[in-house]
Amino acid sequence: MVDVAMVGAGQTKFGNHPLGLKGMWSETIEKAISSVDHDFQSTDVEEAFIGSIAFGGSQLGNTAALLTEHSGMEGVSVRRVENACASSGFALRDAWMAIKSGQADVVVAGGIEKMNDLSASRKRYWLGVSGDTEWERLAGLTFPGTYALTARRYFHEFDATHDDLVHVSVKNHMHGFENEVAHLRKRVSFEKAQSGFMVADPLTLYDCCPTSDGASAVILVADHLAHKFTDTPVWVKGSGAGSDHLALHDRPSITQLRATQSAADKAYRTAGVSPKDIDLAEVHDCFTIAEVLATEDLGFTGRGNGGRFAREGEGRRNEGSVTINASGGLKSKGHPLGATGTGQAVEIFKQLRHQTEPSRQVRDAEIGLTHNVGGSGATCAVHIFGRER
Amino acid sequence: MLVQSFPDEDHHFASSKYGQDWAGPDGDRLTLALSLMKQLPAKNIQLGRFSENLEFVSSVDVQEMIEASTDWIVDDKASYYLHSHADKYLVAITTSLNEPTWPEFGGIEFSPDLKNELKALWATEVVGVSQGAYVSQAQHLIASSARLGLLAQNDNGRLVWPPRQLNSRGDRIASATRQLSETATILSWTRLSAAGAPSEFSGRAPVLDGVSTVLVQFDEGPKGVFMLADDEDRTPEIDGTVRFDIRRLYGQDGMIHYGLKAVLVNS
Repeated sequence: MVDVAMVGAGQTKFGNHPLGLKGMWSETIEKAISSVDHDFQSTDVEEAFIGSIAFGGSQLGNTAALLTEHSGMEGVSVRRVENACASSGFALRDAWMAIKSGQADVVVAGGIEKMNDLSASRKRYWLGVSGDTEWERLAGLTFPGTYALTARRYFHEFDATHDDLVHVSVKNHMHGFENEVAHLRKRVSFEKAQSGFMVADPLTLYDCCPTSDGASAVILVADHLAHKFTDTPVWVKGSGAGSDHLALHDRPSITQLRATQSAADKAYRTAGVSPKDIDLAEVHDCFTIAEVLATEDLGFTGRGNGGRFAREGEGRRNEGSVTINASGGLKSKGHPLGATGTGQAVEIFKQLRHQTEPSRQVRDAEIGLTHNVGGSGATCAVHIFGRER
Repeated sequence: MLVQSFPDEDHHFASSKYGQDWAGPDGDRLTLALSLMKQLPAKNIQLGRFSENLEFVSSVDVQEMIEASTDWIVDDKASYYLHSHADKYLVAITTSLNEPTWPEFGGIEFSPDLKNELKALWATEVVGVSQGAYVSQAQHLIASSARLGLLAQNDNGRLVWPPRQLNSRGDRIASATRQLSETATILSWTRLSAAGAPSEFSGRAPVLDGVSTVLVQFDEGPKGVFMLADDEDRTPEIDGTVRFDIRRLYGQDGMIHYGLKAVLVNS
């Protein structure tokens, strides 16, 4: 079967971006194309998959066609992929499958979200559209609320406290501080993160990711074209995806994400690796408790040990058993919903090619993983990348 | 809720715990009536002029609400009548069409400013238009027996709630027929600040200092999430017990959406 190589990757800075959808996407494509080592034209692209919630509704229909039109890819076969915050994780998977199936040789996967140009009231409407509208939202829940329910239950079931979540926040801010494209580039002390404004008890402001503008894209090609475009391709070794009940109350347990477990299992199997082979992972820490669950569901530590894993600094860059969120994660790098999944892949692309800022390079990075979750765990896509095919 | 019953005359009166001048932050004459009916043995009843004193009356199907949330049947030949006071937050069930002589109800003291502010906020909220997540009145009513009456489906011995269409074998699950317990156990809870609350509650949440939600499990197995009511001075606890009461959830597009809220029993 065809192997898939990533030969280019680019993204905007995440945060409050001065440009709109068309401007951010064209900047991203420009960066992705310029990252390809040898000659690459936008007309080489056969298919494009663009993840977005179309937050705010400014271009709800035919979003993808508008974006490719304004980035030199007019005429390409394109569609928007929507799976809430996992939209571009699934766009990446769709692109990978398009090449695997032999239907295309050169594919762009990306994502975009413009979140911070909305009025406060409109933003509040849109922040809740991906949860269970009929039952959870009417019970007063937004995503801070669903993850708060999870956190409190986790503390009840296992040896963990809110201080363990503080460790996650401090680590990710420390990692993101040195990332030029991160939204919140500031170190946070343990004491400050511990005493943040309460958003959804027990989660404080320092447990919650920011709302960010941003776009990201990667260029995937079939194996026979990889060395035409670069001498150092990053191979997409494995891909997996899963889903689960949309509402927390329909799940057997709220302290694990079955969609993650299912997606990870498939990704590890297709890549032929295990959790202990992973050098760095970009995990979906929309809330700090989500990173704790992810370290368990991805197999980096045992069930119920995620709190201890965070407390003992296992995820710190070049210190622990696996570097978790070298980019700063959603917490510090930012979370432009639809752009997050391929934004994680951009980070892995740079890390595996040893092209990040030297101060934040993960040593001897050979195999990386991305973990992109939709909502409170209804959907999840996991990808595994390697320097070796 | 406060209740005065005169069994000899078969007259029953109710007000909120705040007495006759306020039905509380999320109550009204309809929620009072439904709470009273749930406390009494179910019978057939006539609505009489009850609906005339409801706020936002055009958005409420009183018969649907009564029959979805209680075992009472609305019947224009029934010998019981539902009444509401025109000015005070009082309701009654009597055996006469004539308006009863209303008793006096005292209650917990409250801030008149808070009452007036919330009343104004409800009026603003109900004329607001959704710009995002939206549940239509029709969709709201489709699941009304589950939403208001806690009726669950029986799927080969496994109770299913909220309602579903197909099971994992692809078989259609029968309509809801089994009543879930009227109490449930808290699995987790949170209190969302006004900043963290859904936009539907953006007006009232700051005034009420946020909204609280519990994830609960019924003895029969199904789980659900509910907003907490009457929790001003109380904090939930995991493994604590809640009961359920019908209250206003939110207003939108000219309609008040009603549903069950959880009330702490033994925390």
